[in-house]
Amino acid sequence: MTAVLRGELIKTVSTRTVLCYAAGAVAFALVNLLVSVLASDLASLDDKRAAIAGFPILLMLLGIVGAAGEYRHRTAAPAALAAGRDRGQVLAGRAAAYALTGAAVATLALAVTFAIGIPLLGEEPGPALDGGDLVLIGAGSVLAAAISAIMGVAVGALARNQVAAVIGTLLLLFVAMPLLQLVSQTLFDLSPFVSATAVAGDTAAETLSWGGALLVLLAWTLPVTAVAIITERRRDVG
Amino acid sequence: MLSPMSNATHSICVEGLTKRYGEVTAVEDLSLTVRPGAVTGFLGPNGAGKTTALAAIVGLIRPSAGRVTIDGVSVGSAPPGARKLGVHIESSGAHPGRSARDHLRSLAALAGLPRRRVDEVLAIVGLEHAAGRRVGKYSTGMRQRLGLAAALLGDPEILVLDEPLNGLDPQGIRWLRTFLRERAAAGGTVLLSSHVLAEAAQTVDDVVVIHQGRLVRQGAIGELEQLGAGGVFVSSPTRERLAMAVQRAGGIVEFEGRDGLVVHGMNAGDVGELAHGERVLLRQLTPRGGSLEEVFFSLTEKEAA
Repeated sequence: MTAVLRGELIKTVSTRTVLCYAAGAVAFALVNLLVSVLASDLASLDDKRAAIAGFPILLMLLGIVGAAGEYRHRTAAPAALAAGRDRGQVLAGRAAAYALTGAAVATLALAVTFAIGIPLLGEEPGPALDGGDLVLIGAGSVLAAAISAIMGVAVGALARNQVAAVIGTLLLLFVAMPLLQLVSQTLFDLSPFVSATAVAGDTAAETLSWGGALLVLLAWTLPVTAVAIITERRRDVG
Repeated sequence: MLSPMSNATHSICVEGLTKRYGEVTAVEDLSLTVRPGAVTGFLGPNGAGKTTALAAIVGLIRPSAGRVTIDGVSVGSAPPGARKLGVHIESSGAHPGRSARDHLRSLAALAGLPRRRVDEVLAIVGLEHAAGRRVGKYSTGMRQRLGLAAALLGDPEILVLDEPLNGLDPQGIRWLRTFLRERAAAGGTVLLSSHVLAEAAQTVDDVVVIHQGRLVRQGAIGELEQLGAGGVFVSSPTRERLAMAVQRAGGIVEFEGRDGLVVHGMNAGDVGELAHGERVLLRQLTPRGGSLEEVFFSLTEKEAA
């Protein structure tokens, strides 16, 4: 399994895609931080947490693009043939590789955000974030990024169509989710998107604790990944 | 380079392979064997089901029915691995934004192979000078070479290559022909599909012909050429006597011109021996046609009719 992980990691980091997502993650984090700081006073701890929390959804998109791209570029077949393993195991290795990559990208974005954000937030009114808050936001952002990347790989492998998978995810995120929030805040909080951002430290989820959000995110990710692995085992690789 | 092997039965065995996509049957009840120490050509017109059959043979697609064994082991959802089986089905199968070296590095890592194999196979296929270039910038021929490099990474005993001659320049075709002949001579098993029949005829020992997903013929290339669509032309002043002898021996005759006779179903040597035995004077004895291409068209047209 180590061999599969190594091979998939080399694939993950050897195209410009990951660099684009890393640059995007840093840019999103900085824009979020600066807009939050400049637009209003960040008087509460929740405001401050939201200003420096990570963006796990971006890593979910990285996983989707990477996994669905295996079929678009027909690289899934050579990987399965070289590995000489069950295709489900290869997909599991791919998910692990994207989890590590997602965690690395999130760490990079956090490092930049913390370096710039902590001094800026120190000048904001109200209580300051303490070391425990920062550890939770840091660990939560990296964890949420890793789990979201796994979710993305599972969705990409199931969809096998990059464009459809990305557009579908964005429609869910920007169209279905706001509508769902109008219907029920609880259902909104129980979505994989909101639970992921809650694990990263954002405060969009009103009815979930951090631990609850992590459980919800895992409750989405593990079954979807299991279905993707079982499906991958049974489907043809064209 | 492939190390010489014993006479172990490294071979591919396909029994009753069928692949259906909804109501479309791409491959139907296909049975064939591929022996070690030989290059086997897998021939058929476009849409005959060659690529589907090859993909099922290497475990990339699940057959609707039938069974494939490689080296005696049934091929399920897990292919045998790069050390046993080298496959080139897609032209390169590499991400266009990735360099050839990174593509091969990832496959070598997946297969648990040492990194030095990457440089070795790049040198074998003549891509070492372009290894750092992105695959998207490659020509068709270079992508073919990259696909072959990937197939060779594990120095496998068995090679399955789908249209490996496509896009190669004459030098590349010559190199590949020599390379495959050497691997077969070292005891390796090679199964390659091709629609470039003249080239395939110069490369292969055995031939499997399929049409509309079904097996049309399997045999040594010599046997197939002997089927000669044109038969054997004989000129004799006593052709009637020879014709009767040929028919008694199971051949088919066709009169041509004043003293000509075309014999089907027998080779020139057999016809000559028969004439000698019957004390028939021969003025001419010429195998007619009989190229792989003619036989191929004859077989596939017969199947389509």
